[in-house]
Amino acid sequence: MKKIINIDVNGNHYEVAIKPNITLLDFLREELKLTGTKKGCELGDCGACTIIMDGKAVNSCLVLAIEADGKKIETIEGLANGDELHPIQSAFIEKGGIQCGYCTPGMIMRTKSILDNNPNPTTEEIKKQLSGNLCRCTGYTKIIEAVETAKDYLNGVTPKELEFMPQKSAMNLSVVGKRLAKIDSPDKSTGRALFTDDISLPNMLYGKLLLSTKAHANLLSVDTSEALKLPGVKAIMTGADVPDATWGTSPARYDEYILAKGKVRYVGDVIAAVAAVDEETCYKALELIKVEYKELPAVFDPIEAMKDGAPRLFADKYENNINTHVDHHFGDIEKGFAEADYIREERFEGNRTYQNPMEPHCSIAEWDRHGKVTLYTSTQVVHYVHHQLARILNILQGNVRVIMTNVGGGFGAKAATTTIEIMSIFLARKTGQAVKMRFSREEMYLYGRGRHKQIIDLKIGVKKDGTITAVKQQAILEGGAYSSFGIVSTYYAGSMLATLYKFPNYKYDGYRVNTNLPPCGAFRGHGCPHPRFAFESLLTLIANDIGMDSIDIRLKNAMEPNYHTCNDLDINSCELTACIEKVRENSGWNEKKGKLPKGRGIGIGCGGFVSGAGYPIYRSKFPHSSAIIKIQEDGSKAVLLIGDADIGQGSDTVLAMAACEALGISFNRINVISADSDITPIGFGAYSSRVTLMGGNASKMAGEDIKTQLLPIAASMLHCDVNTIDAKENRFYIKENPEKYVHWEDVAFEFFSKKGPLVGRGHYSPPEGLGGSYKGAAVGTSPAYSFSATICEVDVDMETGKVKVLNFWDAHDCGTAVNPLLVEGQAEGAVLMGMSEVLYENEVFDKDGKMLNADLHNYIIATTADMPEIHSTIVDSFEPAGPYGAKEVGEGATLPILGALANAIADAIGARIYKLPITPQRVLEAINELKEKNN
Amino acid sequence: MYISEFKYHKPDTLKEAIHLFNTQDDAAILAGGTDLLVEIKKGLRHHKNIISITSIDELKFIKEENHHIIIGAGVIHNDIIFSPLILSKLPALADALSKVGSDQVRNAGTIGGNLCTGAACCDSAPLLIALDASIEIVGASGIRVLPLKDFFVFNKIVKLSKGEILTKVIIPIPEAGTGLHYEKFGLREAAAVSVVSVAVMVLIKNNQCVNASVVIGAVAPTPLISGKATCLIIGKTVQELTLPSEILDQAGDAAADDSIPIDDIRGGAKYRKQILSVLTKRAIEKAVASSK
Repeated sequence: MKKIINIDVNGNHYEVAIKPNITLLDFLREELKLTGTKKGCELGDCGACTIIMDGKAVNSCLVLAIEADGKKIETIEGLANGDELHPIQSAFIEKGGIQCGYCTPGMIMRTKSILDNNPNPTTEEIKKQLSGNLCRCTGYTKIIEAVETAKDYLNGVTPKELEFMPQKSAMNLSVVGKRLAKIDSPDKSTGRALFTDDISLPNMLYGKLLLSTKAHANLLSVDTSEALKLPGVKAIMTGADVPDATWGTSPARYDEYILAKGKVRYVGDVIAAVAAVDEETCYKALELIKVEYKELPAVFDPIEAMKDGAPRLFADKYENNINTHVDHHFGDIEKGFAEADYIREERFEGNRTYQNPMEPHCSIAEWDRHGKVTLYTSTQVVHYVHHQLARILNILQGNVRVIMTNVGGGFGAKAATTTIEIMSIFLARKTGQAVKMRFSREEMYLYGRGRHKQIIDLKIGVKKDGTITAVKQQAILEGGAYSSFGIVSTYYAGSMLATLYKFPNYKYDGYRVNTNLPPCGAFRGHGCPHPRFAFESLLTLIANDIGMDSIDIRLKNAMEPNYHTCNDLDINSCELTACIEKVRENSGWNEKKGKLPKGRGIGIGCGGFVSGAGYPIYRSKFPHSSAIIKIQEDGSKAVLLIGDADIGQGSDTVLAMAACEALGISFNRINVISADSDITPIGFGAYSSRVTLMGGNASKMAGEDIKTQLLPIAASMLHCDVNTIDAKENRFYIKENPEKYVHWEDVAFEFFSKKGPLVGRGHYSPPEGLGGSYKGAAVGTSPAYSFSATICEVDVDMETGKVKVLNFWDAHDCGTAVNPLLVEGQAEGAVLMGMSEVLYENEVFDKDGKMLNADLHNYIIATTADMPEIHSTIVDSFEPAGPYGAKEVGEGATLPILGALANAIADAIGARIYKLPITPQRVLEAINELKEKNN
Repeated sequence: MYISEFKYHKPDTLKEAIHLFNTQDDAAILAGGTDLLVEIKKGLRHHKNIISITSIDELKFIKEENHHIIIGAGVIHNDIIFSPLILSKLPALADALSKVGSDQVRNAGTIGGNLCTGAACCDSAPLLIALDASIEIVGASGIRVLPLKDFFVFNKIVKLSKGEILTKVIIPIPEAGTGLHYEKFGLREAAAVSVVSVAVMVLIKNNQCVNASVVIGAVAPTPLISGKATCLIIGKTVQELTLPSEILDQAGDAAADDSIPIDDIRGGAKYRKQILSVLTKRAIEKAVASSK
């Protein structure tokens, strides 16, 4: 029965009848349409729903709305004073404290309550008090800076100005290379930015999925009759109601049904989908669906799964459950090891980790009466979703419109089509109404597509002077039930080892093995972090064994520019040596190494990644990125239409900056519309760290196209020859005499008056023929490669095994940093995420394959209280293939972290841990083992 | 996830609450909701009736009376942590409670709720037990007072009969010379579930420990007084209770001996015993140091 409550929200009084079982969060979002307060975990673990109730910050997901009767509520929507932002909001924008923006409203409200209670908290107090608000993008560094700056603003103190030295390659540029606030950050700071779950369409239904409770079973029957009788249920679909087509990520391995047909392969496999008037009714309907299973033997360990006689997930393919096998041999491994003076081989084991973007996946589908469906969705890859949906629905791409809303982080979790994207469309078609489907946090873990756990046998041979002569790697990837990105992951695990250090002889054996667990996919650094962890660990072990400094052995073998690797990858720009030298200097390595007290340790790791995959996921000749720039009729502003996706990393900003530089206008004269398949030209989206380079080149080209069209008009207005003028900072000017100019907008206006619409077009495809001709040679190819080096310093409690990370010094070769503020944000985010994966994260399953920690309470990620000092630097570099010399940073920056941290811990305790995560228990066991050995 | 439907009651008085709790079928008490709502959302429990005690003023007080601090069960953690009375008389309790959940959780969750959830890893109980706190429980048949140490039966099971509500926490104000410390080991620095915890009370007179209590958490189905560790440190000098010290090593091992931990996703039983031993030593030393 509904009850009436009186509630004050942001100074507005409401008298509303509500059901007692709705939370304050749902009341704010669904009833009052105040969608600025976000739903991240629903269980009080993430803080995204933080609001202030009677002066106290609380998680609104754990407060019943009825309990707020008579209370005063402050939400993000009430913070700004009309058009004037609150100083906390301004500080978050200026300092780069906002990336995807999903944690932002909660983070800002928490900050307000901290500063309301104590106008002068210390940095340590801020870190402690913000620790109930999780962020997965920023690494918290810029958030803490923002809180400090807000504190200064509120106390009337002028915040300290940051000293900033532009890179050499950005010296003569007027937009690129500047530390600019993200274009979307003001809207994200106010809660106004719309994420998919913030959208409600008229007459919209909600949908939910029925997931298997068995790890491996034949489906004998799925009885929906009782569920269909439940009032409010509008449709239920099972495997029998959807096409027989299989789908997936890589065309060679489309092995998933839309809904299970006859068999389920893991706890979480999708059996049915229901649409109803609200989520509560959906859940009740799911409870009424009767599923009869015939259980089959299941297998959860990849090594067990490979054995003869192990239960098979697919009877008709993947013999011994081996879903992908890679057998690569470059150079001559026998000869390479024969030439080595020292050889060491070790086994390393990674962990099964999940991306955990703060925003749960959400999709809304709506059909019109003209046979066209529109899908709003939180995805990284509008084009691939578009392609896959048209394929599954068997309709023309023109009849599917995919619109990416603001996306609250992805890290690979949203890099392929999801079941809710597909099923919201089917349910919407069946019911004739719009259907919204969202994952709970638990459903996110079960949908999976996180990092493959890899078991790696790595062998490296070196000469006396540290020169690597041969490398042999065997990687077994635990793949889960379906293929997802797995083929590519398996190839990446091998190919990218060869890009960082020069070695002529390399053998790689990769096996991706199916198990009855959630499918694994592409997670930041795709396939490479575990092999890189193994390599960086083993390289340091070898350096220690042969009495060489860990930095020296890396410098000895460091990749150099214009190098052709043993596996046929072409490196253009490369400043790895500069990165290593930089972190050596910044960290005080020479003074610290070998001289730290027991329990304190320092270690180095290096990394790097592709700046965009050289080939698309499915065979296509489309440009990888394309851009249209349209100029407003009065010339006042440009609109960049770009297919690539801003998932929080800031690509809208970066691509707009590249476009502005090419157009010759300032950054306040551009708007961006991105990732809408009806409006924006094709772009493959945000994966493989491709957007800055590829989208940037397309945007730059579109800008140049416009400039080329305007130059003759400007020349005639200036009465001079076209070749003598150029455009910059909103002017067309005579190069010899810059004082003589015409305004940019006047030239554009003139163009319109004479020639009509002013549109520029740009596109980018990687150079043809990248890579070798062997099977799988495409994976690892790229127009450019990033490089980075990281030194980590830790303090280990030798009695409990607890690791406190004190510092990370990292240096990045990302070519020209288009926006150094955002580059730092990527690097800091990568550092903290990498640290969190090494120390805390691991998915755990019981003996029946049920995940034991599918929430943010038991699967823990780093908080502000855990953050180390992060000292990021960018080295001078110029990448000829990139726009204004730019290449990637977001994924490459993750790669050195695992090895650097593992090496620092080993240095601190005097023993090596070969398995991730490096938990206190494992650290203490290693310390104990060492003690026993020494006794 | 969703919250299953229930009938909502919001009494203004304790009497009314007790009446409702004794007459309504399948009822649960909502104190702060930070545990209850999580369990309902996860589908682990359902209740036909929920009785909110959040507007009962009788349960919201912190006062000093007859050498005791009395805290109403409905007081949220942060109101205890920042209470001037607690900060002056029992700062160690403020410190222990600041290790419960996140700030947002401490702003909603209550001391009574934390105790009644009865989790083995509960952060408020060990120090309160070390302080020899009692609780007042009110039911239809009257009021009873129980030593907190006897309240916990098993993980998530407490000694509350049907229709009873925990109303007060009664803490003797420690006499001069008392040292207190709560040591928690979680897998991250904040908002972490305790893997092991230890609370220590020592009474130091003339450089000697004349009374003590060592309470261990998250290493047994309930928070537990380690009799062996407690006995070991009584009668010892401050020097003997300062690291490095053989006595402390023994006390640590004794606490581990008294524990009966389990293996779970946060750590193995063997590991828990090992760090319990370390944490016990440290907690004792810090408690002794704080008695000065």
